[in-house]
Amino acid sequence: MLEVKNLNVSYGKLQILWDVSMQIGNESVGLFGPNGAGKTTLINAILGIVRPISGEITLDGESLLKMETDKIIKHGIAVVPQDRELFPMMTVLENLRTGCAYIPRAKKKYKERLEYVFAMFPILKERLDQPAGSMSGGQQRMVSIARALMADPKVLILDEPSGGLQPSIVTEVFHGLKEIKKNVSVLVTEQNVRQALKAIDRGYILEDGKIAMADTAQNLAGNDHIRKSYLGI
Amino acid sequence: MLIPCGQYKPARNSSIRFRDLITMINSILSKFKQKNFLIGFIIIIAAIILVAIYKPNVLFEGLQRSALYALIALPMALLLGIVDIVNLAHGEFMMVGAYFAYFMNVQFGMDPIVAVIPALFLFFLFGILVYYITFKHIIGKEPLSQLLLGFGVGLVLAEGITVIATNFPRKLGLDYVSSSATIGGFTFGTFEFVYVAATIIILVGLQLFLKKTDTGQAALAVGQNPRGAKIVGINVQWIYLLIFALSIALIGAIGPLFGTRYTIFPGVGDQYTLKSFILVAVGGMGSLNGVVLAALILGMAETLVLSSLQYGKWADIIYFALIIGFILYRSHQRQVK
Repeated sequence: MLEVKNLNVSYGKLQILWDVSMQIGNESVGLFGPNGAGKTTLINAILGIVRPISGEITLDGESLLKMETDKIIKHGIAVVPQDRELFPMMTVLENLRTGCAYIPRAKKKYKERLEYVFAMFPILKERLDQPAGSMSGGQQRMVSIARALMADPKVLILDEPSGGLQPSIVTEVFHGLKEIKKNVSVLVTEQNVRQALKAIDRGYILEDGKIAMADTAQNLAGNDHIRKSYLGI
Repeated sequence: MLIPCGQYKPARNSSIRFRDLITMINSILSKFKQKNFLIGFIIIIAAIILVAIYKPNVLFEGLQRSALYALIALPMALLLGIVDIVNLAHGEFMMVGAYFAYFMNVQFGMDPIVAVIPALFLFFLFGILVYYITFKHIIGKEPLSQLLLGFGVGLVLAEGITVIATNFPRKLGLDYVSSSATIGGFTFGTFEFVYVAATIIILVGLQLFLKKTDTGQAALAVGQNPRGAKIVGINVQWIYLLIFALSIALIGAIGPLFGTRYTIFPGVGDQYTLKSFILVAVGGMGSLNGVVLAALILGMAETLVLSSLQYGKWADIIYFALIIGFILYRSHQRQVK
């Protein structure tokens, strides 16, 4: 279980997160909020890219606070960043291999993981030798998700997975998310709340750096504030 | 479209390897279909044939000179082209390596070729030390910091050697460097083929390291996207340290090879830093083969000009004119794209 307790993060004198607490068990959890609410900052704090001023982050009871990013990834957290962060001159296959090559647990399961991600995104199997940088945005997103899944993670974090994608690809990505959550705990931040609520079990609403609401996907979909502010109903 | 895991049948390993081979051959053939590449290739081959017919000595000397340039540029190509660190003290590390070989020869009678092995280990450790003291603190900072730091490290090394060994030029008197061979009435030096052999060994070694090992792939990943590398579990700081130390080990070990043939003095590395920097830029960042090809073209051209009694002093002008022409051509290509 990934647990965040009373997390406070600031950039210099500007505090971004205020006493944020959340848990992600064997489920998929959404993190919603307007631009600038602190969603990416929270992800960066979990990944050790940003150091909090106070609070605790644990994975299966072990503190992640003092670990470097590469150690946190090795402990079982994988991320699909908003900007995809692929290796543009490497082929699709090389990108996928980097997903597991530096995680001893995943490296042993290389072929098994490769079959798993090809089953999820068959188009990647046809593009194995294509440099990742020459692919379309949607395909790059698939490579990014597949690369994260190659790590055989305990928790998969997806930061705005539908950002900048055409609607048909967004549907495909969320369809993939439903498959992924069968085996992995998922934390997804998303602007497309309507689509995301169909794919998650629970959700948190982050506003002005504070958790404003936490409930099941069904209850959030029926909440007036959510319907008005995020679903435009 | 999702396919259930059970329905997916992976390709067999042998077919993957065969496909890789076909892809590689297609990739090479497709290069020849590109008009510019084909024209360039034909011009280079024609030039080499012409040179071989009219000035065979230029062919051999040009090859040897090109190999020396490529040899010295390859460690910089690894550092600058692969992980994006500019080390302006590159030539000075080679100079220190050459002084190390000189010292070992004078004091202990060690042959400079043998001195390559201890130099490799010692300069690897020296690289680690220099990295921790200096370059570690400017990784990811603006390029000007790296340039100034490299310049400063180079000055410290050159002045350090001046203090220890004075700036008096030194040369090892080795008989075997004057060895020569005669083919069809044409005599040429044979020792310099050591540079050709060393270039091939380092080029193949680095290619294998980068393509076939996880650490090499990690270095490529860090060079292309350090943030992306972090989030796949690569220890980015360790990769920077390793590649920096490896680059210093290689250039430090090239020093003894350089010292066998050339006179050494504290400022001897300067021009090689500049030439290496240019070769990496012309050859293409991240392309080790490109650096060797660039060295071959520029080394041949320089030797051809040097071979002329009338225009010999124009060699550097021709060298830099070719580079300016190449940069203008690339800039034009980018605008066309």
